[in-house]
Amino acid sequence: MELKSYLDLYALLKEDRSSASQRRAFGLEHKELQEDPAAQLEAWTQAHRQRLTPPLLSDKVDHLLYMATLLLAAIAFVVGLFSGVGLLSYSGKEPVNLVYFLSMVVFLPLVTMSMTLFAMMRANRTKNLLVHISPAFWMERIVTLVFKKEEEWDTFAFNPRVFNWLIIKRSQLLALAFSVGLLVALLGVVATRDIAFAWSTTLELSDTQFHTFLETIALPWKVWLPSAVPSLELVAQSHYFRLGGKLSETMVAHAALLGTWWKFLAMATLFYAVVLRSIFYLLASWGLKRALREALLTLEGATLLLRDMNEPLVSTRAQDEEPLFAQPRSDYARLVTQFDGHYDHIHGWSLSKAQLGVICDALGISASECKEVGGNNTLETDRKIVEKSSGDVLLLVKAWEPPTMDFVDHLLLLASKATKVTVAPIGTDAQGFTPSPKEVAVWVRKIAALDQSNVWIKQ
Amino acid sequence: MTTQPTPPSFAVVGHPNKGKSSIVSSLAMDDTIAISDTPGTTTHKRRFPLKVDGEVLYELYDTPGFQRARQALAWLKQHDVSADKRHEVVEAFIRAHQEDERFHDEIELLAPIMAGAGIIYVVDASKPYGEEYEAEMEILRWTGQPSMALINQIGESDYSAEWRRALGNYFQIVRSFDPMHLSLEQHLKVLESMAQLREEWTAQVKRSIALFESYHARLIERSATVITKLLYHALSHVERYVLGEDEVQASQKQALEMQYKGRLRRFEEESQQRIEQIWNHRNLKKEERELTFEGIDLFSEESASLFGLTRKEMLLTATGTGAATGAGIDLMLGGSSFMLGTGIGAIAGGIGALFAFDKLSQIRLLGQTLGSRYLEMGPMENRNFPYILLGRILYHTTRIATLSHAYRGEVDLVMDQRFKERWFDSDRRKRLERFHRLFASDKTVDEKTLSEYEALITEILKGLIDGEDKLSFSLT
Repeated sequence: MELKSYLDLYALLKEDRSSASQRRAFGLEHKELQEDPAAQLEAWTQAHRQRLTPPLLSDKVDHLLYMATLLLAAIAFVVGLFSGVGLLSYSGKEPVNLVYFLSMVVFLPLVTMSMTLFAMMRANRTKNLLVHISPAFWMERIVTLVFKKEEEWDTFAFNPRVFNWLIIKRSQLLALAFSVGLLVALLGVVATRDIAFAWSTTLELSDTQFHTFLETIALPWKVWLPSAVPSLELVAQSHYFRLGGKLSETMVAHAALLGTWWKFLAMATLFYAVVLRSIFYLLASWGLKRALREALLTLEGATLLLRDMNEPLVSTRAQDEEPLFAQPRSDYARLVTQFDGHYDHIHGWSLSKAQLGVICDALGISASECKEVGGNNTLETDRKIVEKSSGDVLLLVKAWEPPTMDFVDHLLLLASKATKVTVAPIGTDAQGFTPSPKEVAVWVRKIAALDQSNVWIKQ
Repeated sequence: MTTQPTPPSFAVVGHPNKGKSSIVSSLAMDDTIAISDTPGTTTHKRRFPLKVDGEVLYELYDTPGFQRARQALAWLKQHDVSADKRHEVVEAFIRAHQEDERFHDEIELLAPIMAGAGIIYVVDASKPYGEEYEAEMEILRWTGQPSMALINQIGESDYSAEWRRALGNYFQIVRSFDPMHLSLEQHLKVLESMAQLREEWTAQVKRSIALFESYHARLIERSATVITKLLYHALSHVERYVLGEDEVQASQKQALEMQYKGRLRRFEEESQQRIEQIWNHRNLKKEERELTFEGIDLFSEESASLFGLTRKEMLLTATGTGAATGAGIDLMLGGSSFMLGTGIGAIAGGIGALFAFDKLSQIRLLGQTLGSRYLEMGPMENRNFPYILLGRILYHTTRIATLSHAYRGEVDLVMDQRFKERWFDSDRRKRLERFHRLFASDKTVDEKTLSEYEALITEILKGLIDGEDKLSFSLT
């Protein structure tokens, strides 16, 4: 898992327009990754990266971090190199106190690595003092300052855990560059000058104690490289005191022996400052990878993407578009508000004779002839009734039943025979035969659409 | 090579304006289907397949209503054939009137039936039974396809008894169904009835039932995710108002407060929209009340940062760095300095940061200042606000989850004050409080914690939507 994948997924999710079916199709294509959500997200990022418009956020961040890291690593190397040269500077008059160099290549790395270990354990915290004091943190801050000019940086914030690991990893890289600088300085100085190493300390340390101490330091290579472990004789020969801060005659007599210290110092640098630091660097890389994998899942929209990929896609919608329905006109001029009392004919559409009688009584209307039309009548029966109809016809209809084309056919036929047809929607008996305005409106719209000059509607 | 069996299909047919589209809308969970009280709104049959990863489990057809049923039946009756040949006569009717505009609607509704669809005949039991329905039912009988009737109660009057008596003469199964108050339970019951129509359809429809149950559970879980994110973002949100070098003005404090409130409202609105999308309500007309902050005191605080670190963080960092440098010197001296280096380094670092913070933050580098001064509001400190926000979004979700897709009116989403009693008790408060405190702190909240909160919200939602705390809403 790389930082690039994390940043690309962030950018993709921000602009994502993929449909649920595309996501599910991807999930089904990569079924083998179903148990590993981070791998799924990474594969999705890989497959959709080309959708991002260049320059990519990931490339910009990557480039800036790379440049800043390279610059700082170069500085750290140079500082290491000059520190090494400084610590090993030898005038030929007094020996080089190897305790300084040893502090730099053994104790300083051990202290900073302990701090790193502590920072790693607390990497989940948003506020991490150990991360804040790291030079790499300040490097990131400077990068941010440069990059803040870009609009998208304002909206982007690293996951705190990723940020912490990023700093920890880069800190290890810088320390490694510094250590390599020290090692190069040691090898360079040893190769180009003849240095007499000695040791001196204010502490009351006997030669034997110091030898034991050095043997402990040399434990990792003692077995397979004994020549890089100082002997008690060498330790004793190299001990000098501040009051005699110059080469003693004994030292001069054993000049060749004093020079053998370099092997020990080189191995100490290699093991404590370079190898152990490299292990920490690898550990930090692993931690960053893990943090990135977990951070992928916390990105806005990642959970939904995973759900869309892994859950069966259920669709219940129609595939085709619904044709637009044009609402018929609702204004109609031929409206009557009251019944006339008497009509030439009264027809009841889908109303039985008995119902027709009750309705006519209730509404106080009468006619020379009352007929049941529609309903279970045959078409032939209806046609005959229409043939016999003339003059003023009242056509009672059930207001709650919408007008069908069967009714329309009947009405048009009737209108062609009668002088005037009044369509009267009637409510249910529970409504006292009074229709609701909503029901009447449906009928008005239908009759208006027919636009027959002798067809009226009772409101 | 094996061929996929033809999925069961069902044509929803009936008289115009009896709620066919409402039933399809609710069963297909599609609120885009045109529904109106004007007859003839549906002019063409439409197919609604239930697809799972592309595989069709069953399909529903929404069809236009019968328009000239008597005339169609008269045509059929002209061909006096035995019962086993009647479906051939219906096929002949379709062939003969394919181009006849008069029978457009009849052809549209009969075509899927003759292609093998089961019949779902819809009537409105709030209106009296009428003889005019008999021609329609007779035509459907002629098709010879398995059939069931759904009694839809659109209005308040109840004529279902007379309808049941009439429908019993024509249909294998008669069920009541209210598309406006469709619960998962009711939905599944209708599917169970559909499964009984033909033996070979049973397995497939039963699969659909199981699928709907898990689908419903997934929708609840997805809603819980949205709610979790809302609460987390709203409670942890910090709004900043960048200040110049002058003293803070009251108007700036007011602007920050407005910004803060606006942001929280936007979080809520976005979450509501996501929930509506999850439950397939994309065309909702709604009436709701904006999130208010009555009785909630909001405090702004002036703050500053240098390299992205607050004054406190910078102080700690400088103290730490000074101490570490001093410790290095102590170490070089083999402890003979009695840790004075560490102490002096820490003090020097701390004092340096304390006094140099303001000066350093004003330094311009690459066109930008190293630090900034701002007014800050958030994270939310009020202890009741999380419950107000949670109550509102739970109400919204419950309402949307139980809202029929057939409903086309304006939905009243103003929270009922009694709603709180349905889900809130001291035990829940205790369980929720832990998370709300964490969200409102400046600590990072990991995925595990968010998942735990989500599980709690899922539990509450399940109770409100399906379980014992279930609510029923009236649609007016």
